[in-house]
Amino acid sequence: MSYKIPMGPYHPALEEPYKLDLICEGETVCDAKLHIGFNFRGIEHLAETRNYIQVIALMERVCGICSNIHTLTLCQAMEGLTNLTPPPRAQYIRVIMAELERLHSHVLWAGIAAKLMGFKTMFMTCFELREKVMDVLQAISGNRVNYSMNRVGGVNRDIDDPAAVLKMVEAIEAEMARTVIPIFTTSTTARSRCAGIGILTNEKALSCGVVGPVARASGLPQDIRRAAPYAAYAEMEFDVPVQPAGDVTARLLVRALEIMETCKILRQAIAKLPPGELFTGDGKFDFTKMVTTTSTSRVEAPRGEVMYSVSWKEGSRNPARVHVRTPTFANMPAIRWMVLGARLADTPLIQASIDPCYSCTDR
Amino acid sequence: MTVLEGIPAKLGINEPWTVKGGVHWLDPGHLSIRELAAAMNALHARFVTITAYQLPKDEGLRLEYHWDLDGQLMGFPFKLAGNSIESIYDLCEAVDWIEREIHEGFAVDFTGREYEPLLLRQGDTPGVNLREEVKK
Repeated sequence: MSYKIPMGPYHPALEEPYKLDLICEGETVCDAKLHIGFNFRGIEHLAETRNYIQVIALMERVCGICSNIHTLTLCQAMEGLTNLTPPPRAQYIRVIMAELERLHSHVLWAGIAAKLMGFKTMFMTCFELREKVMDVLQAISGNRVNYSMNRVGGVNRDIDDPAAVLKMVEAIEAEMARTVIPIFTTSTTARSRCAGIGILTNEKALSCGVVGPVARASGLPQDIRRAAPYAAYAEMEFDVPVQPAGDVTARLLVRALEIMETCKILRQAIAKLPPGELFTGDGKFDFTKMVTTTSTSRVEAPRGEVMYSVSWKEGSRNPARVHVRTPTFANMPAIRWMVLGARLADTPLIQASIDPCYSCTDR
Repeated sequence: MTVLEGIPAKLGINEPWTVKGGVHWLDPGHLSIRELAAAMNALHARFVTITAYQLPKDEGLRLEYHWDLDGQLMGFPFKLAGNSIESIYDLCEAVDWIEREIHEGFAVDFTGREYEPLLLRQGDTPGVNLREEVKK
């Protein structure tokens, strides 16, 4: 006899509100239904009421973790509309900010995963590491969440102390190699909680259209930084970690290896940071003289590909349409397939293994 | 010739790609969305999203379907006759949530699929993103 266990929208295992209705037989999950929309904010519609400066501040609020990525993608799309190319220094600063954001996002996820495994010490270790990244982000931008770094045609602020970023990178690299990766990959607790559970097969990953670390942990080597480089990524050397197993361990490993690759990119970006201007033009654009057109931009956020389509109508100060496809919106439906056949007790960790962002999903 | 360059001929379309705003655009012409989705599946292209636009005055709606092929973003615009278009959910399960979201936001009926309750908000009235609806 099957029975339904509702998990959420408010549940200790969920960081933000969404709902999983789990259909179980005994302790085994037979099916699951996902429900979102508990905090839907209508930001896309709101964007149509904002001008080209206000809309950047608005879209930075789509996500509290990867706020910089949203303004980067939006600004790149708007640069497509205005035919502006940011100067080289701005392109490098964009890479540095995007990778710092990936670093703190992945370390945050590792901490949450550790907490869900019952690994409180590792949770504290990860959050201590994350603080180091947050301190650097705060030193650069003055903010810990919404950095306000991107503008149409470049960036708003310079990185005054690249040495501080390098020092943090060294500390993170050392701690990841010394503690986090060995413990996550070799400890019995982590292996028994993660190995062989929440499997998303390669075929299912492709048909579900999943992105980012979730796709790469199911053997799909897709990464927009490599496939369609933006900012200064074409000048960076890095590997795209791919794991074939598709289980929680694979998703954990992909993110852990990506942290090391991010450190590699940060070192290169700081070493090669070219001198020059921070932005092109004076920051003033007459969008009212623009012909009706659409521009699209894609960026590899910590959770996967973000896509913005921005449409401007002739004679208007505001965008006619801003469509945002966030990575969690693509990844979350796949949870249904990951939890099939899983033990009920594993479902909190399985759903967390996609690193879901409900804020992005309920944009 | 790259795989991407060969796609128009494979689809029986005489026009080449138009690269604009970061997207390779192709007018699907005689192709239905279901024929296009089947062709994209055959190419192992990854579905990305659908963007819905409400056109000015009474011109209706336009849906832009996006697939990715090895990092190249492809776009196929479909102007809707009326407010409905065939669903491709049975061919491409990745479209599930975005079809539901557009159904909810723009009142587009994706025919041939069953809808679960609304995705993003309570209530039972689709079309919340339509500007005239908002003005009311």
